[in-house]
Amino acid sequence: MLATAIFLHGFGTRYDLPASLWLYLFAAGGVVVISFVLVVVFAGEQVGEKAIRYPRRELKLLLSIARSPWPRVIGGLIGVLGLATIIVTGLFGSSRPELNPAEFLIWIYFWAGTVIVSGLVGNLWYLLNPFAAIYDAVTKLVRLGPVWKLPQRLGIWPAVLIYYSFACLELTTGMANRPYIAATAALAYASLTLAGMILFGRDEWLQRCEAFTVLFDIVGRFGPVEAGRDETGRITAVYVRPWGVGLLKPAPSGWDRVVFVILMLSSLAFDGIEGTRSWADFTIATEPYWLPQGAFGFFLLKTVSVTLLTVAFLLIFIAFMEMVIYFGKRRVDLMSTVSGFALTLVPIALVYNAAHNYYYAVVTAQALIPLLDDPLAKGWHLLPAVAAYKPSFALAQASTVWFAQIVLIVVGHVIAVYLAHLRAGERFRTAQNALLSQYPMLVLMVMYTMTSLWILAQPVTSGG
Amino acid sequence: MNRYRVPIVAAVVVVFLAIGAFLIFANQTKGGAKVTINATVSKGTSMSPGTWTAHHNDIVTVNITSDMDGEVHLHGYDIPFETKAGQVVTKTFTADKTGDFPIEWESTSTPLGHLVVS
Repeated sequence: MLATAIFLHGFGTRYDLPASLWLYLFAAGGVVVISFVLVVVFAGEQVGEKAIRYPRRELKLLLSIARSPWPRVIGGLIGVLGLATIIVTGLFGSSRPELNPAEFLIWIYFWAGTVIVSGLVGNLWYLLNPFAAIYDAVTKLVRLGPVWKLPQRLGIWPAVLIYYSFACLELTTGMANRPYIAATAALAYASLTLAGMILFGRDEWLQRCEAFTVLFDIVGRFGPVEAGRDETGRITAVYVRPWGVGLLKPAPSGWDRVVFVILMLSSLAFDGIEGTRSWADFTIATEPYWLPQGAFGFFLLKTVSVTLLTVAFLLIFIAFMEMVIYFGKRRVDLMSTVSGFALTLVPIALVYNAAHNYYYAVVTAQALIPLLDDPLAKGWHLLPAVAAYKPSFALAQASTVWFAQIVLIVVGHVIAVYLAHLRAGERFRTAQNALLSQYPMLVLMVMYTMTSLWILAQPVTSGG
Repeated sequence: MNRYRVPIVAAVVVVFLAIGAFLIFANQTKGGAKVTINATVSKGTSMSPGTWTAHHNDIVTVNITSDMDGEVHLHGYDIPFETKAGQVVTKTFTADKTGDFPIEWESTSTPLGHLVVS
């Protein structure tokens, strides 16, 4: 049976129709054709350092705002207010997720919304991060020095582990739709992060262990706003640049960074796959193995699946990178090359994320408005004017949703192919080598985009 | 060739998206047709037909007969059908939202079927 009210991480009804087969085929065909045109047209482009230089324009007007403390103060206040609301409403509000603001704030406004806006504008988490805001406010009053030093060899593996745990909470535990669990997780994570910053130092912890700082740093690289800083970290200029090119900027390399990016891609893909009929068929076929353990068995099945999917994504990526380097015919530093190319996949993941969450962002998000009247479900009437608000479906007609999804997927794919092309030019130095090395990367990107489209074209099933 | 590269790619993308937009939006039906659905619910657990279909902006009249007292609920449109055993309950509405909307026996949240508006 095809029941269609599916839930984002077990929460939030959606009624959108999956893209039809002909539209999927049209988009998939278009992606291949456009990829081919891109490669042909840009063959023999700039090579070496010139390849990754991009145009940017200084915005003098924004410099004084960026230098003032106000964006951090206002952003921090919003972040802390959001965190406090999640904890209070999650612990003391309704146990029904659709009636609890905590669920909306975590899964739609933070998880779907902040990622989309950060991709469109720039790293919003830098301003909103409530943990950093609390720490900064406290250290204005009390001096807190780091007690220990994080071993250098840990890299950003702690952030990878935390991100993996968050992905499991969201996708595999089946508990993301329980407000008190979400609130408890938020409270525990806030305590861990604050303790980590106090014990190991603010920036050390944020940049190496705080998964969302690492995540939004990557997402923010896609955004068009760039801050120039001096050695002390003071902002010296604010620029606008084309979307995506920030992913070409020099970035730290290492397997920890590569695995983090791959985990971003695989967890997003699993989020989509979980809603498909193929997944439902798979869970039914494997029932003899997990059903005896009940809910724990299902959690185990999903956790093993998301882990295997991540390993598969990683192995496929490494295999394709071997081919890229082979065709590039130049001795390059393997680690920085692999890390650099991993970032070029980010646009495909971001647009897929936006396409996948389009319905939540334009319809389900509105369902928070009437909850403001009675956020703890105690029968209050704080804002009677909004109590009767009904979400508008104006932007959710099937044709609008499909067109938005196709535009997003195609534009993201074009940006990714172009970035990989520039990265190849920078790495492999001669136009011919760069062009040859492009083909495996192009195949990988087409495969990934096709998977995204396939998921969007699947009939959705209940659960999720 | 160099200075035409970006315009060429932009043109290809725009043409592709324009064709996509034409295909998607030209396929839309104007709607406004009158659609009547006669459904029978048994024991609050099953409904025949299980799938109701309509086009955007059609005027849909649903007649439900149930062998039990209770409520059949059309989600998304948020329309309750208060059933009395053996009696027909009728509601008419405009299918102004596209999508795939579940229909449930409200008291037990048992899925009965769905309305597809395309």
